Amino acid sequence: MEYYVVSLLNGTIYGLLLFMVSAGLTLIFGMMGVLNFAHASFYMVGAYLAYTLQKLLGFWPALVLSTLLVGVIGALVERYFLRRVHKFGHAHELLLTFGISFIIAELIKLIYGNFPVDYRIPKSLDFSAFTIFGASYPAYRLLMGSIALAMFALIYLLLTRTRVGIVVRSAIYKPKMAEALGHNVPMVFMGVFSAGAALAGLAGAVAGAFYTTNPNMALELGIMVFVVVVVGGLGSLEGAMLASLLIGLITSYSVGIDRSLADLCALFGARAWAEGVGGLMTLKISSLAATIPFAFMLIILLVRPSGLLGEKE
Amino acid sequence: MNAPVLSLRNVHKSFDKAHIIRGVDLDLLPGERHAVIGPNGAGKSTLFHLISGQFAPSKGEILFDGHPIQGQTPQKINHLGLARSFQITNIFPRLTVFENLRIAVMQREGLQYTLWKIINRVRPVQEKTESLLERVRLEARRDTPAGELSYSEQRSLEIGMTLASDPKVILLDEPMAGMSKEETHYTISLIRELTKGCSLMIVEHDMDVVFSISDRISVLVYGEVIATGTPDVIRNDCRVREAYLGEEVCACA
Amino acid sequence: MKYVRYLIAIAIILLGVLPAVLSQSLVNAATQMLIAVLFACAFNLLCGQGGMLSFGHAAYFGVGAFATIHAMGDGSVAGLLPTPMLPLAGACAGILVGIGAGWFSTKRSGVYFSMITLALAELLHSLAPHLKGMFGGEAGISGMRSPAWGLSFGTSTQIYYLTLVWVLASLAVLFLFTRTPVGRLTLALRENTHRLRFLGYEVHRLRVLVFVISAMFAGIAGSLQVINNESANYVVFDSHLSTVVVLNSYIGGVNVFLGPALGAAIMTFFGYAVSDLTRSWLLYQGILFVFVMMFLPSGLSGLRQLWLGVRRSLSVSVLVPIVAFSCVAGLMLIGGVIFSVEILQRIFSQDYQSLLVTAGSAAWPSVSLFGCDWPPGSLLTWIVPLVLVIGGSILVKVVKKKFHTLNEATATPDTEIPLPCAAEDLPDINKLHHVERDSA
Ligand SMILES: Nc1ncnc2c1ncn2[C@@H]1O[C@H](COP(=O)(O)OP(=O)(O)OP(=O)(O)O)[C@@H](O)[C@H]1O
Ligand SMILES: [Mg+2]
Repeated sequence: MEYYVVSLLNGTIYGLLLFMVSAGLTLIFGMMGVLNFAHASFYMVGAYLAYTLQKLLGFWPALVLSTLLVGVIGALVERYFLRRVHKFGHAHELLLTFGISFIIAELIKLIYGNFPVDYRIPKSLDFSAFTIFGASYPAYRLLMGSIALAMFALIYLLLTRTRVGIVVRSAIYKPKMAEALGHNVPMVFMGVFSAGAALAGLAGAVAGAFYTTNPNMALELGIMVFVVVVVGGLGSLEGAMLASLLIGLITSYSVGIDRSLADLCALFGARAWAEGVGGLMTLKISSLAATIPFAFMLIILLVRPSGLLGEKE
Repeated sequence: MNAPVLSLRNVHKSFDKAHIIRGVDLDLLPGERHAVIGPNGAGKSTLFHLISGQFAPSKGEILFDGHPIQGQTPQKINHLGLARSFQITNIFPRLTVFENLRIAVMQREGLQYTLWKIINRVRPVQEKTESLLERVRLEARRDTPAGELSYSEQRSLEIGMTLASDPKVILLDEPMAGMSKEETHYTISLIRELTKGCSLMIVEHDMDVVFSISDRISVLVYGEVIATGTPDVIRNDCRVREAYLGEEVCACA
Repeated sequence: MKYVRYLIAIAIILLGVLPAVLSQSLVNAATQMLIAVLFACAFNLLCGQGGMLSFGHAAYFGVGAFATIHAMGDGSVAGLLPTPMLPLAGACAGILVGIGAGWFSTKRSGVYFSMITLALAELLHSLAPHLKGMFGGEAGISGMRSPAWGLSFGTSTQIYYLTLVWVLASLAVLFLFTRTPVGRLTLALRENTHRLRFLGYEVHRLRVLVFVISAMFAGIAGSLQVINNESANYVVFDSHLSTVVVLNSYIGGVNVFLGPALGAAIMTFFGYAVSDLTRSWLLYQGILFVFVMMFLPSGLSGLRQLWLGVRRSLSVSVLVPIVAFSCVAGLMLIGGVIFSVEILQRIFSQDYQSLLVTAGSAAWPSVSLFGCDWPPGSLLTWIVPLVLVIGGSILVKVVKKKFHTLNEATATPDTEIPLPCAAEDLPDINKLHHVERDSA
């Protein structure tokens, strides 16, 4: 029971974190048609910036400032890189962001070294929120979850209730038309790109303290976000939400399963055979936790190639 | 007479809530040249998409030689002997004109998975492609990337690719749009010549072309066939004139 | 086209006599280059020709490598295949894994394809360390080449020739492939899958076929790597290798058959040459890639086209100063970038940082670079790169302007200078995606 409840909480919070990053990716793709490979790099930059700044300013100011800085970096990337290759087509844009993500990773390695940095939860936030089945549950996790939720509420309100939101949505839907109506569409693009980057940066700043902050974190999270997007369907926020939560839960539950495929075979009386085969069959699910989301993606590709909420191909 | 090669039975198609094709019945007889006309947005192209397998109909049956083909993949339907052209030019823009045609020719020669032949040495394919190139009058542009052709040249190429595979049934979606008078003229004779022995369904806005080329005409308005008949019948059908020409002369409604 | 043949013949002869004039370690580097060349060409079959941008090609290189190490034997156990035939094991593994992975990933096109290939490679990467029997865990597996066919395969020269033969044969096959019906269809896959369907082609099957062939040659490349190293470790599945092959291919230019080969050869060579001089080679590689993507979209092999284009309207005497000034500008920019990166690298290095801690509040000690000492506190240290970069940029602007005025003066409408690469010269992934979307 304990395992189920705790895993549910952990999984949901990890899922929300994934959504914070994949939402920006999806929004940018829906609007500009660009798959931003560097999106997860913004997540990493957010974490490293927050790590550096919190030593000087304290945790909360660092959180805010690093979010803003990542937003600025995003705007610069859009303005001075992406916009220039726009004429070469989307594949080119993807490749460019791919190159940028590579450069960012190398720069981080150059500055901070190719190992995890000691970015920790501030003492003031390192307490337990409640005890559940005799185990304490870290408050910081709940904080991550609530920041993510607050962000969505904000974005949602911004997109649906404000004039800016209307312009953004129209620019997503019909850029030419919005331009003809006198809106500065390139500016809107830059704004959304920057906002998406800032969102990823915030996620990094918050999550970096809890998970590890290392030069590989962008790639690790980035791949997971791509899995989310393939599973959910690119360009659909609801799909991204659903898939993020699913992947979050799957990951967190699989960490706790001490069984293997051989145990499954045992149900059919084939344990001996399975153990004879060895390899994959006898591996515990928990040790495969990192692999399960990919397997899940393959299953989705089999049964519903266009993603859970993607349009049918 | 003969059984129809292609026949549509109460075919419907909706996109979300928009009901675009509303119960079409249509027969294409062997050897017939059948024009489909109708105002913009009537659903002519959508009808072609349904027949050729791009979309599955929401309801109804499409029979090819008596076998249902609705909802099958485009390649399956093509294998049965149906080829189509597209209203919006649909070619391989960075490949040469010759290459475009050769790819269209190759399929019938069963070279789809051939890894052990050098294509330039496959005589039948080369010869067929050359002759097709000549037919559509693009010899001079043989090695030009297709994307660099003028619009009307691309239309010719599109027709050439469609006719390359000796199909039984051919669907042409506004093949002559954007061509000059002379080109149109030539293309009509080309279509006449190349579609001998097969059945043709053609969408065209140019009434001269329609009336000169077709054995029968169907009029599609708002997703419904309001009339089918020989050119003479259609010319004098007052519902057609009302719907199509906007004339309010109908005395027989 | 004749002179291309001569060039290739000369190159092959040069490659043949190379070991006679080079040192052992250079011969080793040349072997690495050949492997990288083959891998890039295998990748480009899928990417440049088939329009399927794979971000996870290390997977097929890797399975080729492991299949070979298992087939090689380790001195005590005899190998399954004689040493020169070992790449066959890599090819088979590439084919088998390629069928599975290709079947899944080619279900989607465009950016989805890229993401799926990335995820599949990561799947292998995360799984491999757990499967000790197959991938040897953290330690990896090592083997030993056994003598065969009267050759010992004990020297790097012999390995070089073995690699050379396999790479040249593979390239020849890859080239001939472009002339086969499937090879032509591969290009059509890149251009317009939608139309292919309506011409009666089974697009998914074709794509899997192309994927498998590409994976097969990637497997051969991985195999050659193992023959060279006599060991394999699961880190080959790391994204690094997949990334590098993308960078190399595009730097070389994916629109020309040997473009990726050029890129891979140059980059591998430089990587080897500067490995003692800098720790930031990967960063430079990334910067070069981004630069190419922005300003030279058809890669280094596009330069020839560019030159031919310009030559058509401008005389050499006009062009020489322009080229000279461009080179100066380029060198200044490169100098500025290298200077900044190296200074930063030294300042942020752990040694220096711990030096800072011991130095306490005293002035920061100087760092040495290019044989001089540069105190981080002094203005000069920062002015040098700044001047180089700004000067270079201004020079670029000037040259560009000059070039444009020259062009306008001489260009009549029909001698307009073609850009090195038109927008549609690259697989427009997104376009494919949209086309895909509206087919049934
Ligand atoms: N994929 C789609 N989704 C939604 N609506 C569509 C789709 N395709 C076509 N339509 C709608 O169906 C209607 C008929 O379109 P169609 O292209 O078949 O007309 P048409 O008769 O070929 O017109 P034209 O003469 O201009 O070519 C149009 O109103 C169009 O907006
Ligand atoms: Mg139409």
